[in-house]
Amino acid sequence: MALSDLDPVVLGHNPFFGIDHLSQAKAAERDARFQAVDGILDMIRFARDHGVRGMMMSTHPRATLVADALRKDPALLDSINIYPLLPYIAKYVRQANEKGLVNVVLDQVKAGGLGEKISMFARGGMAMLRKDRLQILGTLIQMELMPFKGLRVKAVFLHDALTDMGLALNLRGIFEFYHEEISKRFEAAPAFATKNLPLLVQKFSEWGLPKPLVLTHFNKVGFSMNPSRQACERTLAEADVQVMSMGTLASGYLKPDEAYEYLYGLPRMDSVVVGVSTKAHAESTFAAIDKHRNKQPGPAR
Amino acid sequence: MNGLESTEVVAVADPTSDLLNAFREQMPGLATYSDHEKLLANEQIDAALIAAPNDLHIPIALDCAKRDIPFLVEKPLCPRSADADPLLTRLKEKPLVNAVGYMYRHSDIFVKAKEVLDAQPLGKLMHLRATMYVAQLFKRGKGWRYNKAKSGGGVLNIQNSHLLDTLKWYFGPVATVSGHVKSAYSAEVEDFAHAWLTFKSGLTGFIDCSWSIRHYRTPEIYIDINGANGTLTVTDDTVRLFLDQPAGGFDSGWTTWRKPDVYRPVPVDIGGPQYTHQDADFIDAVRNNRPVACDVPSAHHVQSIIDAVYESSAAGGQPINIAGVS
Repeated sequence: MALSDLDPVVLGHNPFFGIDHLSQAKAAERDARFQAVDGILDMIRFARDHGVRGMMMSTHPRATLVADALRKDPALLDSINIYPLLPYIAKYVRQANEKGLVNVVLDQVKAGGLGEKISMFARGGMAMLRKDRLQILGTLIQMELMPFKGLRVKAVFLHDALTDMGLALNLRGIFEFYHEEISKRFEAAPAFATKNLPLLVQKFSEWGLPKPLVLTHFNKVGFSMNPSRQACERTLAEADVQVMSMGTLASGYLKPDEAYEYLYGLPRMDSVVVGVSTKAHAESTFAAIDKHRNKQPGPAR
Repeated sequence: MNGLESTEVVAVADPTSDLLNAFREQMPGLATYSDHEKLLANEQIDAALIAAPNDLHIPIALDCAKRDIPFLVEKPLCPRSADADPLLTRLKEKPLVNAVGYMYRHSDIFVKAKEVLDAQPLGKLMHLRATMYVAQLFKRGKGWRYNKAKSGGGVLNIQNSHLLDTLKWYFGPVATVSGHVKSAYSAEVEDFAHAWLTFKSGLTGFIDCSWSIRHYRTPEIYIDINGANGTLTVTDDTVRLFLDQPAGGFDSGWTTWRKPDVYRPVPVDIGGPQYTHQDADFIDAVRNNRPVACDVPSAHHVQSIIDAVYESSAAGGQPINIAGVS
């Protein structure tokens, strides 16, 4: 569901949570640098002072600490919109490898302590699993979003591993449920991360779902753009879709200037997620965005 | 598979009724079975994908082979190498397209490293260091993976088989193994494994692996090979070549390839392009009735290396020769 007031620049969470898709060694280094929440808050304030009003946050364990800290700082809280990305997929994959998927779901729910509905679910265990599978999904979403309660949540993104699985298996019902759940229960815009933009747009159109807000890769080297960079660019130009770009620097492979020159040379770009790990890095990134965004050929929809 | 052109998942078999109910609800056109044999008997299928606990891989693959249905079976091939003997015999008697899901062979970075090695820029290979770690298990695990009869072993068989397959792909068969395994959290299976390998080619080196090493958010492979003319380092993120003298079409000094340098787009990416490349390779092999590089005999050799590590460890690290490799 498209947003009329989507933030044009959104701070990414990966550096703060020790995630780097191009270098595991760099990820570990950043994990150590941002282990104190103060370091993250400092970067959020710095970004806000440079006009950034949005922040993406996965449901990584550290997100809870960041969210708690934000709640204690009303000025910062009021000036930052949060875009959760759920679930924190690596956690589920590791746990599923360790104890199997059903045990992961049950343990998650038991650990939640989320009031009557969920304790009923925990008591019901497998019986509940049998009764209403979509309800389980709803409960898991509710649990994943708990840390963000009280924050200004604008849109909730479904992780690309789940979105793309749903697209490939034609799980229309899951998408409809997610749509309903996020927009009605959480009063936020349902949104989708994907590595297959053309396929998502095609399926949403076939299924009659509203214009999607999509988080997807755009970069001049075509990294993680499927089935091709050209096909993604064509979809961006022709389809009724709102796009937040990620992977613009191809995980640090590209320099900010060349990366944003490409991005804002596209027919349009609604928003971009940027990962910044130091203030110097943030400054050069924001400067490159400002320089090229002003030259964007068409207005953002 | 379902996302590939002209490929459709038409039936699924699983003993878990809840899972089948979920499939029925969400994918109304899909035929569901609680037993794979009924599926094979009732459905007209061109190929099968086998994703089951390790001890069921061979029985299900054999049932497919008996019906001449090509199959892609998940790794590792089986709990013990001898378990695969009936399948190897059947495939020798009646060849059939078959593949084992060692997907690193389809990862862009690892494919690039293979291309570099095939050009032989390093000269005589001297020494190998290879590790695979993930921060996954720090208390007793639940389920079949920790039951040695079902899984065949712990981190060595379940995860490090990927690394061993990659090393076999790069450097050929292993002739002799000396190994040590250790459990810290698991009762029946190992959480740490270390082995000294002597390849048939004469190359020697070690592997070290664990699923209980902190700070590895996702599984990470590191391979470092020293040769007479330089070094090659392969990780999940980069391939780095250093040469004293130009060779194999590469300059002297450092040459580095990162993921965006070698990225090959896919028709649909679900959790990593390597899975799509693997599935597409298998489907193409079925369509054209051609062999797949990573097949049952190849994966069987990996199981023989793993067996030898356990046997050596039980014998205090004594070297074990692998049968059929001299």
